Amino acid sequence: MAQNHSVWTSIRFWRQSAAWVTGFAVVLLILLTFDTMGQITMGTDADLQKGITKRVPAPTVINYHIGYKFSEKRGHEVPVIGKKEPFFGKEWSPKEAAALLHKGKLTEQAKNCMDCHTLLGNGAYYAPDLTKAWIDPKWKSMMAMTGKKTREEAMAEFLQHPERYPTHARRMPNLKITPDEAKALVAFLKHMSSIDTNGFPRGFSKGVKEFEAGGTYAH
Amino acid sequence: MIEAFTDVNHSFWGMLNQGPLTLTLFLHTVIILPMIWLYFKEKKRLQKGE
Repeated sequence: MAQNHSVWTSIRFWRQSAAWVTGFAVVLLILLTFDTMGQITMGTDADLQKGITKRVPAPTVINYHIGYKFSEKRGHEVPVIGKKEPFFGKEWSPKEAAALLHKGKLTEQAKNCMDCHTLLGNGAYYAPDLTKAWIDPKWKSMMAMTGKKTREEAMAEFLQHPERYPTHARRMPNLKITPDEAKALVAFLKHMSSIDTNGFPRGFSKGVKEFEAGGTYAH
Repeated sequence: MIEAFTDVNHSFWGMLNQGPLTLTLFLHTVIILPMIWLYFKEKKRLQKGE
C-alpha cells in the first residue's frame, strides 16, 4: 500500500491546528476583556479633584467646565476638564450626580434617541451626532432663542419643547420629556462629552469652524 | 518606526496598534508560526510511517 506523506490530508495536523487557534483565541479574548475593562472603568470624584485624566470621568464631571482642544501629541481633539462651574445652579454631590446620570441614561433609552441620533458611535445619522453635543457652539444661539441664561437650561428647554425652536429642516418631535428628565438628559450629554473617544466624531472642530464662519453645519 | 504610545490609558494591545493592520499582522503571525512547526512535525511523523 502506498504511503500517504501529504500533511494536508492528515486529520491529526488539522486537529492540532484547530486546537491551537481556538486556544489562542480564547486566551486572547480573555486578555482583551481585561484590557477593555481598564479602558472603560469610570474614574472617581477623587481623580477629578486631583486632576487625574480618565477615559470615562466620574459623574461629578458635570460640576466642571468641559473644553475640547486639539492635542498635537494625540493627533486629534481631546476633552479638557477645566474649572468648576455650577450645573443647574448648584454643585452636585457624587451620589446626586450618579443618580442624575442614571436617570438620564434611562430617559435616553426610553425615548429612543438612537432612532435618529448617534451616541458614542451607536445609533443613526438622521439627526446630529450627540457624542459631543454639550460642547456644540450651537447652544449659544439656543440660549438666545429660549431666553435662558445658561447652556444647560437652554438645552433642557429645547428638549422639552423642540417644536418651538426649529433650527433645521428636519425637526425634532416633541417626545413629552418632563423637566426632571430633561435635566437628567442634559447631565447625561455633558458627561458623554467629557469621555475621551480618541477624537470621535472625526472633524468635530472643523464642523464647528465652518458653522462659526457661516457655512454648512455638518459634523 | 515604532511610535510612542499616546493614549489616555496604557494598553499593551494599543501599543502594538501602530498603524493600519499592525495589530492584525502581529496576531496572525503569532498564530501562523506554531502551525508551521506543527506542519513539519506531522510531515516527519508521516515520513517515518508512524
